[in-house]
Amino acid sequence: MVGAPRLSYAQLLETNNLLQTFTDETYWLCVTRTVQESKLFPVPPYMLLSYLNAFYRYPSLLRKVESVMTAEEIGDRAREGRPPGKSAMGWGMPGFYLLGREWLINMGLLRPQDAAEDVVYLMDFWKRLQLSWHRNDGHITNKEFGHRCQILPERRLQVFESDAYGCEAGDPLHGAATQFMASAAQYGFLVSCESRISLLNTGPYKLADGNEMIVREFMDLGEGDFPWLDDVAADISYNNLTVPMLVRDCHFYLVDDWGSFESEPEFRAENIVGVGLYTSDPLTDGHVPVGMESRETLTETFHSLDGLFKEATARLWKRIAGWSRDQMLDAGALTYFGICKDLAHVAGVYAQEDWMLIDERAERFRPLLNDEFSRDCLGELVGLLTLPSHRLSSYSMMQHGNGPTRMYTPIPYAILDGEDYVPTCGPVYPGSTTLSAKADRYRTSQGVLSLEEYNRRVRNFAPQSDRYRFLDETWLKYNHDTARADEMYRHEQERARNIQGRGASLGTAELAAIPRD
Amino acid sequence: MAKLYVDSDKYGDQANSPTVEAFHSAIKDLVRRRLDESGVDWNSFVFDKSYDLITAADFAEIEKKLLDAGHRYDFSAVISVNERPEAYKPAEGILGDDPDWTMEHPDAPSGDADAEGRALCGVGDNVMRVAESTVGTARYVRSSSQVMRYLTDGVPPETIAIIDDSGGTLTAPILEQFAGIICMGGTVRSHLGILSREYGIPCFMNAKITGIREGQRVEMETAAAAKTAEAYQKGEEMTANIWKLAQEAS
Repeated sequence: MVGAPRLSYAQLLETNNLLQTFTDETYWLCVTRTVQESKLFPVPPYMLLSYLNAFYRYPSLLRKVESVMTAEEIGDRAREGRPPGKSAMGWGMPGFYLLGREWLINMGLLRPQDAAEDVVYLMDFWKRLQLSWHRNDGHITNKEFGHRCQILPERRLQVFESDAYGCEAGDPLHGAATQFMASAAQYGFLVSCESRISLLNTGPYKLADGNEMIVREFMDLGEGDFPWLDDVAADISYNNLTVPMLVRDCHFYLVDDWGSFESEPEFRAENIVGVGLYTSDPLTDGHVPVGMESRETLTETFHSLDGLFKEATARLWKRIAGWSRDQMLDAGALTYFGICKDLAHVAGVYAQEDWMLIDERAERFRPLLNDEFSRDCLGELVGLLTLPSHRLSSYSMMQHGNGPTRMYTPIPYAILDGEDYVPTCGPVYPGSTTLSAKADRYRTSQGVLSLEEYNRRVRNFAPQSDRYRFLDETWLKYNHDTARADEMYRHEQERARNIQGRGASLGTAELAAIPRD
Repeated sequence: MAKLYVDSDKYGDQANSPTVEAFHSAIKDLVRRRLDESGVDWNSFVFDKSYDLITAADFAEIEKKLLDAGHRYDFSAVISVNERPEAYKPAEGILGDDPDWTMEHPDAPSGDADAEGRALCGVGDNVMRVAESTVGTARYVRSSSQVMRYLTDGVPPETIAIIDDSGGTLTAPILEQFAGIICMGGTVRSHLGILSREYGIPCFMNAKITGIREGQRVEMETAAAAKTAEAYQKGEEMTANIWKLAQEAS
C-alpha cells in the first residue's frame, strides 16, 4: 500500500509478539510431539496444499464469520461446549495460515510485508477467540499455562464429576468404555486422513480424592461437512461425543495445544475409575447426556457405538483405498484447512464452497507436490528451520533450539516508515475438488438437516446459557449465594443425574460424597 | 532481470534439501522472468497478475525438468509410486509377494541362537509393558492391497504385523486383529503407538530389524519397560529385543 499506513505501531508490535510466541511453541510441538506419516495418505503433500489454501482463504472466511458473530462470542460458546473446542483454536488456524505465508516467502512469491492487514487481522481474531475460550484459566494457549487447559467452569465440572459412573479394570463398563475410546480414536484418525484433528483432550481438573479428570472429545463423526462420510457414517447418530474420564494414580503434567497429553506415571486404561458420555453441537445448550440413564445403559451405549465405529471404519477405509492420489490430497488438505470450519457453523454461515474446496490460487501448486519434495519442504518449514527466511543474525538463539533461526517471519515495521505493502490477498477465489459432491445431509442434535436449515436454526438459536455470559468464576466466588448464581447452576444441573436442583452452593466435600453408581 | 525482495537476504542462502532448493530456485527464476516479460510492478503482481502469470503448467514444467535430469523421487504413500512409477524410485517388497524379501535396518542388532534357540534380530521402543513376551508369526503389512486381502479373508491368528508406517490409517480396519505390532518408524506417541495402547495390543515403535522373512516365528520382549517421554527428550536408548525363533522358522 502506498500512502498513509492503515496499521499502527501498536498493532504491529502485538501481532509480531503473537507471531514470535507462536513460533516458539510451534517449533516445540513439531520437534517433540510426533511424526505424522502414512503409507496410505500422502500426508506432507496434503499438508502443504492445506497451508496455501489457508493463506488464501482464511482472512476472507473469518471476516465473513465476524460479520455475524465476533470471535470472542464464538469463544464464549466454545467454552460452554458448543461446538467442542478444537485444537484448531489452539494452534491450527494461525499455524496453517502462517506456514502457507512462510512457504510463499521462500518461493519468492510474497514479501514479508504483503498481506500485512490479513496477518494482523487473523492474529487478532485468534487472540480474541483464544482469550474468551480460555477465559477461565486466563491464558491464550495451553503452552502459556505450562501446557494445561482448564477451560470449563465449576458448574459444568460438577455435573461431569457427579454424573460419572465408577468403574474398575475388568468390569463391563470399564471394558466397554476403553474399547469405545480405542475404536472412536481409530475412526477419528481415518476420518481426518491420518491427522488427530477429530480428537481433543482438555484438562486436567483436580478432583477431591486426588484423582484427575481429562475431558476427551471425538468430533466430526457423523454425516457432516466431509463428503467422504456421506452414507459411510449414516448410522452414526452423533457428530460429536465427549467422554469425561476420571483417572487415579497418574498426574497429567502436559496437555498441549494439539490436544494430546502426557502423564506421570504413564496413563494406562487401568487408571480409569469413572466415565460419562455426552454430545454437543451448535444447536445444544451445553453437553447433553448420552446413555447416562443407568450403568447398564451406558455400558450398552459404549458397546453399540464401538460396533458402529468399527463398521464405519471398514466402510470408510474401503472408500479411501479406492481413491486416486488427487482425491487423497484433496481430502487431507481440506481436513487440515477445515480445522476451524466450526467457527462458521457456530455463526450459522457455513458454506460447503467456502470450506470444502481448494482455492484456484492454491491449486496451481499441485504439480510440485510429489512425496519427496513435500516431505523435505515440510521438514524444513516446521522442524529443521533451514529455509532462507528462517535464518537470523548469528547472535540469535531460538527458544528450545538455540540456533539462529525463527519459524515465522514478522511483519517489517518499515511499512510505518513508508515502505509499500499490499494489504490483503483479496477475496475467496473459485475452488474445485476431485472428491464426490457432498450430499445435503448434516447430522445435528436436532436430526439430519439440510445445510440451509442447519444454518437457519443456528442463527435463530439463543441458548439460555448466553444469559450468563459475563457471570464468570470470580463473580461466582463472591455471589454464589445469590438467586442469579443459583439460577445459573440449576440450569446447568437440569440434565444432571445426581445433583439436579442443588444450585450454586454445592461444595467439593458434598460432591465427593455422592456415590458413583 | 527483475530482483526479488528475498534476493537480498543477509542471513539466508538456500534450502537444505537439494530437491527443495531445485524447485524453489526454479520458481524464483520463473517469477523474475514473468515480472520482466509482463512489465507489471510487484504490487500489481503479488495478489493479482501472478495468479495468471504463474500457473500450474509452469510448476509442472519445473517438476518435469528434475525428472528429465534423471532424478527419481522417494515415495511415502504407496499410491504415489503406483500412479507414477516413472517418477518414483521402485518400491521393493511393497506387495508382500516375495517370501524371501526382508526389511533391513543398518543399525539392527543380530546374534546367534541362544540356548533356547532364540536369535536376536532387532530392537524397538516398547509402547506398553505387559506381563510376558509376545510370540507370533511375522507378516509384513505395507500396502492397502494387503490390508484389503486380510479384511476379506481375515488376519491369520497370532500375526505379528511388521509395518513401516507409524500412522493409524493404513491398517485401520484390521489393526485390532494383530497379536503384536513391530513398526519401523515413529515413536510411542505416533498414531499407531496411541492406537495400539488404546487397544491393548503389544507394539514396538521405531524398530530396527534384520533378517525376518514373511512367516518367521518371532518373539517380542514386551515385558520390558515402556519407553518414556523423558527418555525421548534426553535422547536415551530404551529398547526391547526382538528374536527369531529358529526352531519354528518357516
